[in-house]
Amino acid sequence: MSWYFKSLGKRKIIEFIIFALFIFFFLGPLINLALLAFSGKWQFPAALPQSWSFTWWKFVLSQPEILKSIGLSFLIAIVVTVLSIVVCVPAAYAFARIRFPLSKWFLFSFLLTNAFPKMGLYVAIAVLFFKVGLMNTFMGVVLIHVVNTLMYMTWIPAASFKNVHKAQEEAARDAGAGPFRVFWNVTLPMSLPGIIVASIFTFLSSLDEAQGTFMVGMPDFKTMPLIMYGAVQDYPATAGAVFSILLTLPTIILLFVSRRFVSADVMSSGFTMK
Amino acid sequence: MNGQSVTPSLPTGKSLKPSMFSRGARRSALGLVMVLPSFFLLLFMIVVPIFTSIQESLKGNDGNFTWDNYKYLFTDPAMSSSIKYTIHLTVVSSIMVLVIAYLLAVFLRFSTGRLAKWIERLYYIPMFIPSVIATYGMINMYGNHGWLARIMLLFTNEPFMRIIYDYKGLLLANLWFNIPFATMLLSSALSSIPNSAIEGAKDVGAGKIQIFIRIILPLSFKSMLVAATFVVMGVIGSFTAPFLIGPNAPQVLGVAMQQQFSVYFETGIASACAVFMFAICSLVGYFYIRSMMKEER
Repeated sequence: MSWYFKSLGKRKIIEFIIFALFIFFFLGPLINLALLAFSGKWQFPAALPQSWSFTWWKFVLSQPEILKSIGLSFLIAIVVTVLSIVVCVPAAYAFARIRFPLSKWFLFSFLLTNAFPKMGLYVAIAVLFFKVGLMNTFMGVVLIHVVNTLMYMTWIPAASFKNVHKAQEEAARDAGAGPFRVFWNVTLPMSLPGIIVASIFTFLSSLDEAQGTFMVGMPDFKTMPLIMYGAVQDYPATAGAVFSILLTLPTIILLFVSRRFVSADVMSSGFTMK
Repeated sequence: MNGQSVTPSLPTGKSLKPSMFSRGARRSALGLVMVLPSFFLLLFMIVVPIFTSIQESLKGNDGNFTWDNYKYLFTDPAMSSSIKYTIHLTVVSSIMVLVIAYLLAVFLRFSTGRLAKWIERLYYIPMFIPSVIATYGMINMYGNHGWLARIMLLFTNEPFMRIIYDYKGLLLANLWFNIPFATMLLSSALSSIPNSAIEGAKDVGAGKIQIFIRIILPLSFKSMLVAATFVVMGVIGSFTAPFLIGPNAPQVLGVAMQQQFSVYFETGIASACAVFMFAICSLVGYFYIRSMMKEER
């Protein structure tokens, strides 16, 4: 064996060790869940499932509580995404292209959404919601989801609008296009990747949001992650694993579809100025 | 951001029309109108709640001004041990996350191997996995009868150490949730360092360590600060993992706060706790905001 490792060289071995640790630590828990979800019997000392089956899928998909939560989660996520786009994309365009008084202060005010720890903020929001009667309402849940993604929903599109070259817009204008047509046919298509990434981010983070909903949406707004809170304790591990996969599926599908657009650079522009 | 000044307006019909405001003033009004909805949302969801919670934290049960809620935070043994526990966990987790993420980002930047490319493709995944699911995966992986315990049993008969419902479990969860994000920010910063700068330094005889200290570190320092901010905020305000796999006593502050609010209906104490959390984070938040503003200038 040792001659084999020697022929690989030190660099390769280090790379392999890092890769193995990475897979074990980051993907191990997920692989474990995937195995659990399709196992029929997996008793303690066995290192791998003793039999495979789909029984737990039937069990999970026949629980009315779970089906209801899936519908609710998607409804909330869609409303949140649409609302975020309507509110944030125009603001992003204004930050990138229009000069107006105090624009910098407005831009930096979005940093406030990240300048406070989440759970502390949710408690503060819950205290306010209690006073104005938004506790345990659809609107309250939507608002708490929107505020979570407000900053990158504004900053990522703003960065992409800025990256569109002015010369191209001006060329279209010289060719006789009106300002709206320039935006629709030139600016928007070129900045679409950033807007798509931000929207997907928003959709997914709404779908996965648990803490804020737990604070302001209980007991009537049980989204998928909240059902999962209960499932961790009450369901057998296999059923919990099946539900986990159901909850992760939209994430995987959306990421796969949009993988062309998702890059460290685009995502980082939602958190830092460049 | 200075596009407005150079637009040469052709004498079309529209711009010849007399108007009360100049074109620039109308445009800047339009900009304000586009920004205001999200700004009001921000005001209502961040600024107002913070002031409400400060106000609420200084109110006793009878509605009069009192410092009692803050006194409770630091004198109640359960509460003050939770505070110490949370700060300890935050400091240890944040340092570990930043060190590991930095090493990983440097490795990804300068490695050309096939496996490194695979890591580059896969490391986004944890950022998009719902935190409940990840926590559940960890329970099943590291629990007493979890997968790791079963695999270890193939090699040794020693009893498996306690990870879940313990400090170690929370630490692992924090690493899992925060390393990918920090790596992403740092990778993006490192990828903007041109190869030519590094090769140039090599040509004039700089060693690896010198290149690191003189070029790589200064150019990625700001992203390091941003990553640190998000990691500290994320860890100190974390809820899902501690709620599901944390110990019952001492609790992490996020869980303690939620219990005070939703279980004991102690709005004052919960608010005081939140305000205290804002206060210890305001320093980190201040440096983050200041460095961002400097950049834009």
